[in-house]
This record gives sequence, structure tokens and C-alpha cells, in this order.
Amino acid sequence: MRLKRTVIAASAIAALTLTAACGGGDGGGEDPAGEFKAGGGAGAGKDATAEGPLEIPSDAKMGGTISVVTNNAPATLDPTRTYYTDSGAIMSGLVTRSLTQYVYDEKSGDSILVPDLATDLGQVSEDGLTWTFTLKDGIKYEDGTDVTAEDVVYGIKRSFATDTLTDGPTYQTTFFKDGQKYKGPFADTDAELQKLPDYDASAGWYGGEDYDGVEADGNKVIIHLAQAFPELDYYASFPVFSPIPKAKDKDPLAYESHPMATGPYKFESYKPGTSLKLVKNDQWAADTDPGRFQAVDAFDFKFAQDTAKIENQILGDKGAAQSMIGYDDVTPPTYKSIKEKAPENLIEGTSPCTYMYRPDQTKITDKKVREAISWAYPYQAAWKASGEIVGVTIQPGTSLLPPGTAGRVEYQYPKGQDGQTTDPEKAKALLKEAGAEGFEIKWYYERDDEQSVAKKDQMVKGFEAAGFKATPVASTDETYRDDQSNLDAPINLRYGGWCSDWPSGGSWFPAQWIGSNANKPGMPNPTNFKEADADAKQAEILKMDADKVPAAWGEFDKWMQETYMVEINAGYDANAFIKGSLVGGVVNDPVKGMPSFSIMYLK
Amino acid sequence: MTVSEVLIQGPDPEIDPEPRTGEVAGRSPMRIAMDRLLSDKVAMICAGIVLLFVLIAIFAPLLCKLFGVELRAGDPVTDTDSFNYPVIGPPNYGFTWEAPLGLEPNSGNDLLAEWFYGARTSLLVATIATVVSTVVGVVLGLIAGYSRGWGDRVITFMIDLFLTLPFLLVAIAISPMLVERWRENPTMLDNASLIALIVILSIFGWMGLARLIRGEVISLREREFIEAAHVLGMPTHRILFKELLPNLVAPIVVSFSLSLPATIAAEATLAYLGVGVTGRPSWGQTILRAQSWFDEYPLYLYAPIVGIVVLVFALNLLGDAIRDAFDPKSFR
Repeated sequence: MRLKRTVIAASAIAALTLTAACGGGDGGGEDPAGEFKAGGGAGAGKDATAEGPLEIPSDAKMGGTISVVTNNAPATLDPTRTYYTDSGAIMSGLVTRSLTQYVYDEKSGDSILVPDLATDLGQVSEDGLTWTFTLKDGIKYEDGTDVTAEDVVYGIKRSFATDTLTDGPTYQTTFFKDGQKYKGPFADTDAELQKLPDYDASAGWYGGEDYDGVEADGNKVIIHLAQAFPELDYYASFPVFSPIPKAKDKDPLAYESHPMATGPYKFESYKPGTSLKLVKNDQWAADTDPGRFQAVDAFDFKFAQDTAKIENQILGDKGAAQSMIGYDDVTPPTYKSIKEKAPENLIEGTSPCTYMYRPDQTKITDKKVREAISWAYPYQAAWKASGEIVGVTIQPGTSLLPPGTAGRVEYQYPKGQDGQTTDPEKAKALLKEAGAEGFEIKWYYERDDEQSVAKKDQMVKGFEAAGFKATPVASTDETYRDDQSNLDAPINLRYGGWCSDWPSGGSWFPAQWIGSNANKPGMPNPTNFKEADADAKQAEILKMDADKVPAAWGEFDKWMQETYMVEINAGYDANAFIKGSLVGGVVNDPVKGMPSFSIMYLK
Repeated sequence: MTVSEVLIQGPDPEIDPEPRTGEVAGRSPMRIAMDRLLSDKVAMICAGIVLLFVLIAIFAPLLCKLFGVELRAGDPVTDTDSFNYPVIGPPNYGFTWEAPLGLEPNSGNDLLAEWFYGARTSLLVATIATVVSTVVGVVLGLIAGYSRGWGDRVITFMIDLFLTLPFLLVAIAISPMLVERWRENPTMLDNASLIALIVILSIFGWMGLARLIRGEVISLREREFIEAAHVLGMPTHRILFKELLPNLVAPIVVSFSLSLPATIAAEATLAYLGVGVTGRPSWGQTILRAQSWFDEYPLYLYAPIVGIVVLVFALNLLGDAIRDAFDPKSFR
């Protein structure tokens, strides 16, 4: 899942497109508790037997409206396209029920995977290629009609139409049977298929309702895979696996204006980019749902709000602001004053994401130069200049896999680089060794974003002190993401981040650093990293037994950096958001780095 | 006495409200206006303030040296604490001469240096833009007023056209175009954004004056001295600039002195919106950065606001005084 998207970039870092979600933890193992290092549990635990209803805390006063205010605005709330942390948290937490879900576990301070619409976490066949989920009885849509297995199947089929319903998660096209060929239910004639981008007549594409990768059998949803996918139960928590009634989906792009609710709240009104009002869904039955409750009457989301206004209102904590909550990282002045005045209204937590400076392997070919960048980069100065609070909204990073990921190997490369040390002398020495003194580094910054400009100024200072030639290339807030993912961009250093989609290094390395994705438009491999031995190692790990995989990815992380110095780790993401004094049940969901809407109430 | 000196007394010299004394008899209207202005205390105080700002703008580097501060030299690591607050000066510590206006949170840059150079940017942009728009407005107004026929129609059409263009929209639209053009050359981009800002402020500032001048010229061109000059075979440019222009000094000076503060405010607004100058300090940008710190660190926001308010207010009062001085029909 990607990190929430900023409309008016409050900080350069928040404006990044991250592909991120459910991170860290035990790679598909069955240990319900899991083991987490400090600072980063991330949703690896499982409890296949959890049952509803979820108990509402005793200090809850039923009713009322919680206002959620944010500087961000989700691009879409279509369940199939929900792939940002904020839209995912809103939809999964309140509106749509999927086959599985995460629920916050107070004992471990972590989110654990529990059943949602399904009676368990899915049954997998001996060969690992068939998954069966059995739906609970008596689940209804907001209009009172029954949810059927066909609707879930239709929802999954819909997710293959990645050209119509863009930006959604795409694991189904990799792992599901015929995933590369099936193009979703909408393009059901050859003429329509030919209109799709990259159409290849010989690829055997097909569309329409006839797809046997997912089938409904009574109240069972059966999924057939092309290759083993041991973490499918985690992936089944995405809104992609929520039921969508075909009859309501006449215009797929308009479905987001009112997705049929199965969760405790339903859409009352939705103005994209501006506001979303959710009210109680009286068809939702608490005893079928182990992860959500219905303690307030309504949720009132206000998007694209001014950061200073949001923070002042919540800090003031008067009247309506007492039942307000924000989910943007707080600015340093607000952090300081709330820490002094009302620390209980500040929620801090982790999200399993790593920010990286990513040298283009085809342009910065010398490993020594890449190491020199890691010594030249002004970590502390760049964080502070861009308004990050070190230790609160950002943590110095070492391994690429963030803390809390099972199998993660803690290492420092180059030796002594603890993720926050800038040493121009070492950088100079490395550049001299490489015979590349005065090497030109070019990267994008957002010219219309004050914090991005301030960060750029610090980077220029840092790089120049280390003997590089620094050329910041101007971009704008609006075009920054497209510019960065442009293969022909006139830069050799990109900035980006990645978060796990489910708790395994398997959603990191094959997704970002596989050679077959290098030099492709859209930069699916952001460093253009292509080395035969790295690809071979990855292929080997993908074939290993599930219980050995996490450790293998941890080792691969270390090996890849030590051998090729692929990325410069610019810190792990962390969260700090604020709420009004009356809002209860607010915890940071470490899976998404968002507040847990599903268990929120008013005191 | 030349023709123009007679006529410089304006259209209706008879109703000059000033009492006629023997002393005044030989003075030109320009002189009279200046005398009135010099005796206006408010105007003189405002002129002093404006002069002070001009001196600050001109001598910004020297002033920085005098106070021992440096522009954009902050180091976030050593100059800010773990909450990104400055380690010396306000808001957490007392006044210090090391940084009289304090340091900027996050970056640790000195705010006094930022303020001095902000005044420089403000006055530089506003002065050039106002001069350019005044020159353009006067020239086009003269031509339109005097040319009768199609020249007048074309220019009037252009005036109407430019009046319909939405200023903010054009300013916001031009910024990304510049980025696209000079994205790989940061110095060039900064210069281009400065020039573009001046151009934008200029092309949206000339229409009012051009209309005013056109109207004045239309009423003047029927007067005998113009007819006479025409009959004597004076070339048109000579009639325009030697005969008509001296009679238009009053409206030009008044328009200039009133549009200067408006341009300063516009510059700050655009900088605040992120489409103004980049790569150099600007009060508008400082305000943008300071607003989220206001609760804890009000001085950060007050300094640039006071700068803008005092300068614009002084310029406006001065402009009013100049108008009063040049317009014999108005009374205080």
C-alpha cells in the first residue's frame, strides 16, 4: 500500500508516492504472537479463531460524531483501487469488509490478522495452489441484500482491470492463475482488449466474466494460483477482497461515489478531494465482526485542510475540536506544545517504511561513488530542514528492511554508517579512489515547496563539502511524482520509499530490485538495478520453504548492499498525530501507519 | 515664457485655491506642489521611512556585516535543537546580539539577514515593475489619446484585453512553465523567476494609467497650443513628449506613488503562494514558513509582516500626500 498522498505538500517527504502497507513480521509463519523488535511491530501475528462481537470499552459514550481532518486527500475510495495507507484505513476500518482483516491487539501493541467475512484465515491446498475461504452466514449490504460468494469473486475479477481501475495493488496479476492474461470483467470483446495499452495479440489476453482463477461454490470463495502464495491471507485483507454487487457496478469509475457498505458505517455523502460523511450502517451485525465496533453515530472526514488550521483547532481542544482527530504528522511546534500541554492527545507509532536515495545504476556506475554519496548526504540537516522531527517522524536507518520485519539483519554499510553520519572526508577519499572528483549529482526538488527547497539547500551544501558537483533539478509539487518515475529524467539520484505490502521481504526485493524490471517506463525498479547474481539469489529465495524465507531475505538485504551499494538509506518512517481529548480508542495501526478507525469512540 | 510653461499650469489655472501673493507669482505648478508636500509633516515622516527602507535594501550586505549575521548560513544540526527550535535567541532564550531577530526553526538561518534581503527583493521587484508599467502606460496612453482612429481602437482593445486577464491565474500558470524551461539550470531558473515576476507585475500594472493618460490627452489635444504645434509642423513624437507629457506629470507621479505599495503587496502575496521569486529571501516566503510556528514563535511571523505593513502604509500615505499636493482641487 502506498503512503497517503498529499495535496498541498506539507513536507517533501509526505509528498512521496510510496508503495506500502502491511509490513514486517513473521513471513507467513503460523506463530500467533510473533516477535517484534522495539519500534516496529507490523502486523504479523494471526488469530484464525477470533470471533465477534468486539467489546466496546467501558468509558465509551455511545453516539456523537468524530471529525477526521487532514491535509491529505485520497485520490479514490473505490475498494479495488484502494492502495494508499489513508484510503485503506478508512475503507477497511469502517466501510468495506474483506475476507480477512487486522485488529489491534493491546497486549502486543500490534495489529494481528483475524477473519472478517471468512470464517477463518483460508484453507490452502497441499500444493499451495488453491485457497478456499468460507463466508460467514447472515452478512448483508447496507440495503439489506445478502452478500454472496459471487460478489466477492466479482470484486476480485474487477481488480484485474488495472487499466480501467488504475493504481490498485497488482499481486493478483503475478500470482493468480492466468493473472497476466485475464484483463478483468469490463473488456469482454476483442475490440475492447485491443484498446488497452501494450496490447499484444499473441499474449492470449481475454476479459469478461469467464475467468476460472476465482470461483464461487455456495458460500465458498475458491482461488486458484499460478504459483504458491503463502501470504495470500494477508493480502486478503485488502479491500480488493471485499464483495461488490455486480448490479451496482454499471459504471466502474463511478462506483467509488457510493461503494456498497458491509462494515459498520456507510457513505452518506462523498465529495472527492473535499469531504466524506459516514453514518451508521444498520445492516452490519456486530457478532459477525471480530475487528470493528459501532460506537459513534458518524464519521466526518474533511480532506485537503490547512495544516496550521487543523493543528491549532486540535491543540485548542475546545467545543467541536474535542472530537477531532488528524492523521498527518504534526509539525515541530505543535509536537512540542502538545507534548507539554496534553501528551495523552499525541499518538506516536511506526509504519514499516524506509526512505531511500536511489542512485541510478546506469548513470552512477562506480560503487565507490555510491558509497561516497552515503557519506556526503547531510542526514540530520536534510531531515530538520524539511521539518522532520528526528526520532519522532523519522528514525535513522541502516538495513533496508525496517525494524520489526522478521528475519531482518541489522548491519551497517559502508562500515560505521549508522544512518545519520555525514563525513565529507570519507566521501572525498572515496571519490579520489574512484577518480571521480567533482562527480555531478543531479536530483529533483519541488521548487514550489518551501521545505523541499530548504532540504535542497542543505543537500547542495553537504554534497559540495564532500567534493561532488551538486545540481538540483527543479520540479513542481504537481509533477514531482511523474518526473521521478520518468525513465529519461535528467537526474541520476532519485528519492523514494517503500513499505511492505505483507510481512515478508518478499514484498520488498522482487518488487523493487528485480533485474527484469530495470530500465522500464514508470521505473518499477527505481535504481535500474540489474545484476545476474542478485536475480539468481532472489529466484532461489522465492523457491525456499516458507519458514526459511524471512531470514533469507534479511541476509539478501545485507548482501545486496555490501556487494552493490544499491541504496542510500535516508531513514525509517515514523508517525506522530494528534487528537481531541474526547476521542478514545486511538492507536497507531502499525500495519498502515494510520489511526485505527475501526475501534474509535467518543468519551 | 515658452508654450509649455504656460500650459503646465493645468487645464484650469483660474480656480487655483491658493491665495495669490506676490511671492508665488513666478513659481511653476511643480514647485508649488513640492512646497505643499514639503510642508506636510505626515508626508515627510513617510518619506523618511521609505528612504530608510530604500537604504536598508541598498546596503543589505553592509548591514548584515555590521550586525555580524550572514544570509542562509544556518546549519540545522548545530543551530536547532531536537524539536527543530533555534538554540539561541527567541522563542526559548532571551534576546541575543548574535541573532537580533532570532534564527529560523528547522533550518537555523538568520532571520535578520533574511529580513534585510527580503526588503531588497521587495523594493527591487516593486520599483522595476512599477517603473516599467508606468512607462508602458504613459507611452500607450499618449499614443492612444493622440492617434484618434485605429491606433486608439487597437490600444483601447489591448487595455480591455489585459484588464480581463486574471492576474493570479496567469502568475500561477507561468511558474511551472518556467520550471519546465530552465529546470536543469538552477541559477538561470532563479533569475528567470525574478524576471518573470517583474514582467507579470508590469504587464498587469499599466492599464489603469494608460486609460487615465488617454483621457487626459483627449481633452488636451483639442487645445490651441497643440493645434498650433500641429500647424507649425512639429513632428508627432515632439508634440507627444514635449507638449503633452509635461502636462501629465501630476497624474503620472500620483499613479506611480500609489501603485508602488500595491506592487510590494502583490510581490509578497505571490511569494506566499509559492509562485514568486525563488532562491532569494522574500518577506512573503518568510510569512509562509512562519505561520505554523506562530503560537510558539510569534516574532518569526511579526518581523516580515511589520516590514510589509510599515513600508506599504508609509508609501500609501506618501502617495496620498503627493496626490493632494498635485491636485489643486482637493482639500485636506
